[in-house]
Amino acid sequence: MFKRMLAAAAMILALVAPAVAQTDAEWQKVVEAAKKEGKLVFYTASIGSPFYKEVVRSFEAKYGIRVEALEARASEIRERVRIEQAAGRFIADLHHNGATTTWLMQQDGAFQPHGGIPNARNVMPPYEADEIRVPSDVTSFVILVNRAMVKAADEPKSWKDLNDPKWTGKMLADDTRALGGGAVFFAVTYDAFGKEYHEKLAAQKPVFSRDLRNNERRTARGEYPIYFPFVLAYYTQIKSLPVKVVIPQEGRLYVRFDLAVLKNAPHPNAARLFMNHFLEIESQLVYANAGYSPVVKDVVERTSEDMRPFLATKAMGTTVPQRQNEMLDLAKQLYK
Amino acid sequence: MEQAALQRRAGVAVDAGGLRRRLAVGVGGLFRGGRPLGLVVLIAALGFLSLYPMGMLFYGSLHSAPPGLSGEYNLDGYAALATSENLIVLANTVGISFVKTSLSLALAILLAWIVARTDTPARGTLEVLITLPFFIPPILTATAWGMLGNAQVGTINLAWRWLTGLEAPIIDVFSYGGVIWHMMQYSTPFIFLFVVDAFRAMDPALEESSRMSRATRSQTFWRITFVLMLPVTTSAFILSFIRGIEAFESPVFFGTPVGIEVLTTKIYALINHQSQPQYQSATALGFAVMVLMFLLVTWQWRLLGGRSFTTVTGKGYSPNVTQLGWKRWITFAICIAFFVATVALPVGQLLLSSFFQFFGFYQLDMLTLEHYRGVWNNREFWSAFANTMLLGVCGASATMVLGAIVAYVTTRTRWQGRRLIDVLAWLPWMMPGMVLGIGFLWGFAMLPSGIPIYGTLWALLLAYIALGTPVAVRVTSSAYAQISNDIEECSRVHGASWWQTLWRILVALAWPAFAVGWVLTFFGIMRELSASILLYSPGSEVLSVVMLKMWTGGKPEEVSVIGLFMLVLVLVFRWVQLRLIKTRISTL
Repeated sequence: MFKRMLAAAAMILALVAPAVAQTDAEWQKVVEAAKKEGKLVFYTASIGSPFYKEVVRSFEAKYGIRVEALEARASEIRERVRIEQAAGRFIADLHHNGATTTWLMQQDGAFQPHGGIPNARNVMPPYEADEIRVPSDVTSFVILVNRAMVKAADEPKSWKDLNDPKWTGKMLADDTRALGGGAVFFAVTYDAFGKEYHEKLAAQKPVFSRDLRNNERRTARGEYPIYFPFVLAYYTQIKSLPVKVVIPQEGRLYVRFDLAVLKNAPHPNAARLFMNHFLEIESQLVYANAGYSPVVKDVVERTSEDMRPFLATKAMGTTVPQRQNEMLDLAKQLYK
Repeated sequence: MEQAALQRRAGVAVDAGGLRRRLAVGVGGLFRGGRPLGLVVLIAALGFLSLYPMGMLFYGSLHSAPPGLSGEYNLDGYAALATSENLIVLANTVGISFVKTSLSLALAILLAWIVARTDTPARGTLEVLITLPFFIPPILTATAWGMLGNAQVGTINLAWRWLTGLEAPIIDVFSYGGVIWHMMQYSTPFIFLFVVDAFRAMDPALEESSRMSRATRSQTFWRITFVLMLPVTTSAFILSFIRGIEAFESPVFFGTPVGIEVLTTKIYALINHQSQPQYQSATALGFAVMVLMFLLVTWQWRLLGGRSFTTVTGKGYSPNVTQLGWKRWITFAICIAFFVATVALPVGQLLLSSFFQFFGFYQLDMLTLEHYRGVWNNREFWSAFANTMLLGVCGASATMVLGAIVAYVTTRTRWQGRRLIDVLAWLPWMMPGMVLGIGFLWGFAMLPSGIPIYGTLWALLLAYIALGTPVAVRVTSSAYAQISNDIEECSRVHGASWWQTLWRILVALAWPAFAVGWVLTFFGIMRELSASILLYSPGSEVLSVVMLKMWTGGKPEEVSVIGLFMLVLVLVFRWVQLRLIKTRISTL
């Protein structure tokens, strides 16, 4: 039995090896072409993030290709791309945005096939790459508590514990009615726990604020004992404050960021090379050490000891772009 | 003596340089020799700056898809406005803006009177201090007030509980009152800047006549001073009221968490909170706001139409200063109280926080200078600072030149078409900034590729000029309205050209207002975000964009360092400005 399996594996290897070698040769041509292009224009909705900049720096150092990055909020990036393409101004090469916005832009025809990314084969489930989109990093959402105000025994263990009457009027939250972490929380927990869960949560009168970076500080200062959904990646910056991350037993919520080559990109090879570079273990480690879940295998094990336990927890779910509008409408009905 | 003073004032620009003279002759020819051509050029420039982006937005409001996408023409965007929810939002918006503008106007007039027309001690310093709040980025004061006035652990409430032993908070900034208070910190100095120079540029002869006719001080104020100030106060009121309607930071920070929704937060939600941005509804809402604003402006035109507000004539004068005696210490205390409440408290909080690792955590082991080092070593910040200074200086200067011309045409001539010019200059102020930003994006992107505006600093510069022109026009036209026609006619009789008269008489006499307009426009450019975020390109980042990046990147402490840096810059600018005014106008 074992011998037969070994033989089968050898046969598969024999078939695949030339193809890989051929791919390598072709990829080398892509690298050369990218170097000739010498420049990449990168539009990202990852506004204010230092992590993509670190990936950019290592890319520039490795390949000598200059990257010009433009940061704006998701909808602003989307509208810039749309109007530029409509006006025949094909300026940007590569787009980096949340999975929902990327999917919507794909429906608008904003992208072109990337043509193959070698490192895409390392992408691990539940994430997947296709001929247009390649996942780049994953933001997780959890619960943040004020250590001085919430005793260990009182900490919520489940997302359902947010409905405990003792938290009525004492929770700060990202808005469930707006695109972002709040909407991800609503969509996933609505599917998991049903409408009744949210009717009860609305009765808890959570205070909505979209000033995410201030919310964590407001919680730390003691304005509110609980804040949800909290972006796990922000924790590294505030861990010296009296706050604690709680990962509910059902798991983390998450939202994926995707890379996609824009239609008629002036530097398509540089875009392709950068996508591949983003999926390198070193690039993924930059994100993982900050609290973003990596999208390729063999990274979690190499992550810093601080962050590894968080990233090793299970993922509960994410939004389905096709149902986003329906979910936002539902949230508006339930949270008035 | 007085005549000499007047001669000095009128002669301010007589020694103007040759370059300026050559430029004046060249451009002035458009107005002197070919008035129609001059008007056409002016209308074309204003049309491009305001009508063109508005046209794009109007298209967006009538089309089911934004420019560049196929769709159909319909009125769905406007039809969607007629809901009871929107009526509540409208009532909230108008109510909040009306209350805050009324309170701010009253306070600003009081402060301006104290500074310009009384013998209150340290008036020069107070004038600078009172205007400071206007120049602090709103997100920073909002954060500071969030820490000072939240009901749970706000510093003021903690102090109150400690003093009284009561549990109930004394203030809660997350309320209607909080929204109004935060907006007032910007509108009071804004209106003050408008009215303080008008108080100065007022010939006291009229007031003295009133007093000699046995009118009381109060009667004189309401019947003479107040009426003469109408062009300035109504302009300031309307500008401030419109700004209140379009304010975003205060309601989103203090109102949204407690369910207070206004038009701008609604528009923001339509664009940014949906998976599919609702541009048609957002632009339709923007136009609804614009119609509302237009009615208000029309009311002002009717109010002021056909009346004379001349206070600066060919005769020399010196402003009347009321001797308050011991009461001057009360007026001094009022100014200091305003400064403490609007500057010392929030800025003190920011200054203190800037030396600690995190906002609001004042532990010795968290003392640090890393935020200052972070800003100092941030290359992106310095690049953005250089871009912003370039755009600020060029933008504010160009805006004031355009504003001075538009104000002249609309207030000092009877030319046909002047009302159209006034409307064109007003338009950008009437459209909420976040909607107008989209109009600029659509407009500039859709220009033929041979016109190199999109993706360059020019796009930002043109947007800033368009956004600043309404203020520039209001500031200068209010000042022009106080200047007698006699002086201008004198100049023309003695052979001066249209441009020479504009520059050497009107601009020279309206110099203080011109300087105020320049500062307002300059700092407006420094703070502008809605258009900047949509129009900047790699390499042309501006300060507001970098501050947004830092804020969302979790560096509010570094943003506060930049805010403090901007405050120092304001102090320098205001000092230079006041020095210049004092040097150039001896009667002050």
